[in-house]
Amino acid sequence: MSSSRFPIPQGTLDMLILQIVSLEAMHGYGIAQRLEQISRSVVQVNQGSLYPALHRLEQKRWLRAEWKQSETGREAKFYALTASGREQLAAEKDDWARLVGAVQLIFNEGSGS
Amino acid sequence: MKQLANWFRRQSLEASLDRELRYHLERRITDFEKAGLSPSEARRQAVLELGGIAQIREEVRDVWLTRWVRDFMYDLRFSVRSFLKTPTFTIISMLSLMLGVGATTAIYSLVDQVLLHALPVRHAERLVLIDWRGDQVANAFGSWNLMSYPICRDLDQQKEFFDGVFCRALTTVNLSTGADYYPARAEIVSGNYFLVLGVGATTGRVLAEDDDGTPNANPVAVLSYDFWKTQLGGTTDVVGRTVLVNRHPLTIVGVAAPTFRGIDVGQVPSLWIPASMSAQAIPGFSDLLNRRTRWMQVLGRLTQGMTLQRAQTGLQPWLKAMLQEDTRRLGFPVIAAERRRRFLDSSLVLTAAPQGHSSLRRRLMEPLWVLFAVTAVLLGLACLNVSGLFLARGSARDRELSTRLALGASRGRIGRQLLADSLLIALAGGALGAAAAPFAVRTLIALLPTDVAGTALHAGIDLRLLLFALVASVTAGILSGLAPAWQSGRRSLVSSFRERGGTAFGGVRLRKAIVIAQIALTLTLVMGAALFVRTLDTLIAKGPGFVTSSLVSFGIDSPRSGYSPSEGNRLIRRIDDAIRNSPTTQASAVAQVPLLTGGSWSDPMTILAGERISTDRDINLNAVTPEFFQTMGIRIVEGRSFDERDTRAPGETGWRSAIVNEAFAKRYLAGRNPLGVRIGEGSGPDVEPNIEIVGVMSDFNYRGLREESEQAYFPFFEGQAASGSFYVRVRGAAESSFQSLRVIVRSVDPTVPMTDFRTLDEQVDRSLNTEHILAMLSSSFGTLALLLSLVGLYGVMSFVVTQRTREIGIRLALGARRSAAIWLVLRDVLTMIFSGVGIGVPVAWALGRLVESQFYDVKASDPPVIAIAILVLCLAGLAAAFIPARRASAINPTDALRIE
Repeated sequence: MSSSRFPIPQGTLDMLILQIVSLEAMHGYGIAQRLEQISRSVVQVNQGSLYPALHRLEQKRWLRAEWKQSETGREAKFYALTASGREQLAAEKDDWARLVGAVQLIFNEGSGS
Repeated sequence: MKQLANWFRRQSLEASLDRELRYHLERRITDFEKAGLSPSEARRQAVLELGGIAQIREEVRDVWLTRWVRDFMYDLRFSVRSFLKTPTFTIISMLSLMLGVGATTAIYSLVDQVLLHALPVRHAERLVLIDWRGDQVANAFGSWNLMSYPICRDLDQQKEFFDGVFCRALTTVNLSTGADYYPARAEIVSGNYFLVLGVGATTGRVLAEDDDGTPNANPVAVLSYDFWKTQLGGTTDVVGRTVLVNRHPLTIVGVAAPTFRGIDVGQVPSLWIPASMSAQAIPGFSDLLNRRTRWMQVLGRLTQGMTLQRAQTGLQPWLKAMLQEDTRRLGFPVIAAERRRRFLDSSLVLTAAPQGHSSLRRRLMEPLWVLFAVTAVLLGLACLNVSGLFLARGSARDRELSTRLALGASRGRIGRQLLADSLLIALAGGALGAAAAPFAVRTLIALLPTDVAGTALHAGIDLRLLLFALVASVTAGILSGLAPAWQSGRRSLVSSFRERGGTAFGGVRLRKAIVIAQIALTLTLVMGAALFVRTLDTLIAKGPGFVTSSLVSFGIDSPRSGYSPSEGNRLIRRIDDAIRNSPTTQASAVAQVPLLTGGSWSDPMTILAGERISTDRDINLNAVTPEFFQTMGIRIVEGRSFDERDTRAPGETGWRSAIVNEAFAKRYLAGRNPLGVRIGEGSGPDVEPNIEIVGVMSDFNYRGLREESEQAYFPFFEGQAASGSFYVRVRGAAESSFQSLRVIVRSVDPTVPMTDFRTLDEQVDRSLNTEHILAMLSSSFGTLALLLSLVGLYGVMSFVVTQRTREIGIRLALGARRSAAIWLVLRDVLTMIFSGVGIGVPVAWALGRLVESQFYDVKASDPPVIAIAILVLCLAGLAAAFIPARRASAINPTDALRIE
């Protein structure tokens, strides 16, 4: 099974984190879980790279962090999207769609001829 | 910036990251346990899944603060800690660099203000000075680079090359803004001056082209911002007010922009007057429209994209045509063919003038660069000193560094640590130096004549200066860190552990090399100081050639109080009589041109002695009253002084008689009896030599103490001069006579201004100002240099003695005398001193040749100077080595052997 999972493409982890957090504020563990669920059996996310990414996004002020009570009753660090983070996510989604579209076009061309 | 902030809250960041990771792990463990794993297995799985926690931490830390910055911060923290542990070392290093950076920054402040600072005008980089090369066939008054007003206006029409060309001349006017009259500096300018410079007004307006129309018809003036603030209290209703300039009313139309202080850093004008009013600003002047009177500096702004070279060549055809046209003009003088050719061959020379035009710059340029070089050497010495200290500390830290190397620190990392050390010290020392610099600048400015420094130079510290201090400090830091870092790179791990503290010899050779370099540099500074001090001493001992004690002088400028030339001449005679008849004075005389101020009236002369010859260079001329020679204590060697025999008959013009000095007689009348020889002013074929030499005076200085010149003097009262300098020998103290002299002059005319009141001793001091400054500062810097290198020498010799304790102990035990132990140390010191001298003397000699023009009657290769410098160094060096040498001789053999 692990052979059919491929490592997450460079630079897309940030985008995925922003997307997940855009729905609701979430702590690191939750984000890890969600990544696991969504991408199950397709992409492999190294949990070790999650925390540096979270801190990088916080440093860039795309995420804002807050210690709050979690569902288990203990305090956890929750990350939420900031306004500039929302803009960034929109931009990255846009870029991604254009890239995918372009790649698709090239594939179609190849199969058509 | 945010990253640096993270450094200071790194503890709370770390704690928070810990909590975050712990939360993650614990949740995961719980999940695994729920899935049925045993607690220990669950923990193992969770940790495995997350990857190395230490590694995550490191990666997150890299996000907070880039790796190399973080390392550097750790280095700095480590440096600070180790510095705090060795306060003596830290303070000495910091003080060394503070001296170096402070002195360099202070001198640089003056260099910047006087030599480098571009004028605060639009596109200063496109300003050029236009000068004439060749013969202008014109009479001149003023300082340098002079041309006539009409030619300036013609140049302004060359729009292909210039956005505009303006001209300006400085003068001193008798100014009144209310009741009092006082002398004030005015800049006479063409109407486009402010327009071309791009300078606006604070209030009202600046001068415009219209103000420079019909001569005498535009009585307006613009005030400088400083004058408006200090003299008029910055009143808002200044525009429209009237000021009196030489008793002529001018209307103030505005105040110039605050930052603009004219185009000459040394001579800041109080007001600007349009050239159309030059006859009012300069009494008796009527040559504004005369093409053959040169009196103004001409500057222009090149058009966008125009180069100096292209403009210079491009102007040539126009100039040629203008010169041809000029020779056909009415009133062009009849001149010899040779001179006519020189006139027609003239060209214009353009030089970049972003800093404007300044005679102060001309005078201070070389001395300032000399001082700047001296302080740079001093800074170099300070760096060497710190290097030496670091090496000393390095050998004390030998084991620490070796241990770090053994534990796997890279050599680069350790070298970087050492560099961080020296940078930190240099920045701290530099900050202190920059903080001290304004005080040093203030002291320096106080050394300059007040009329120059008071208005023109300031001691404030600005961004440029801070930047300079920063660059100097960082450079110093890197330089001082080089040797220690290099030394650490060569460290051999094995030998360093094998050697015990007492025998490690690493670094001694390098440290000795540093001390030798220090001695070489110090020798150049000490020799420089000796040369400048000797120059000053020689000049003072020589004196001006006349007796200065109890002699005071002041200027009377009657035209500026509305006197005509002949009335002014009579006024001066009345004042002269009154002073001579006063019981408080011994003698009094008048000279048309003041002595020892750097200025002179000069012209070539035609001499008729058997054959007719012209002098090959300008003769310095003056006109004096008959009592001049006796008052000044100048001997009449042959013939007589002036008397009633020199009085012209009615209808006769020109002078009848002249007195020349011995240098004149020697150069041009060698072997002849000078008395009765006839001379004339000028060198052209049209000059009639009909002035008879009636006397020969002993040589004395006219322009300054360095200058020996051929001179010819005429009788004052037979001329038309309405202004002159009084020389009065008073009874009693010179200073206390000022009041009584003032009373005498007031009794003759209460309104005529007296200028430049000073004693002749003061005047001699003033004319030796540059020499004073050079001698004083170079001695101070030489002393500092000496101190710095003595610290270095002492340090390295103490170290050597410590290193050789065992050896010396063995020698003593084997029966060596104590004096032999002392000699062991001193021999080392002498070797270093003489190696330093061997390098330093040629360097000093080479440098000395560059600044030879600043010396008087002494050369850089002067044996006594070299001998004195070497002697001073040897004595000081031996004194510094004495303490370690004593310690060496006091070594107890048994103790020394027990050290191991």
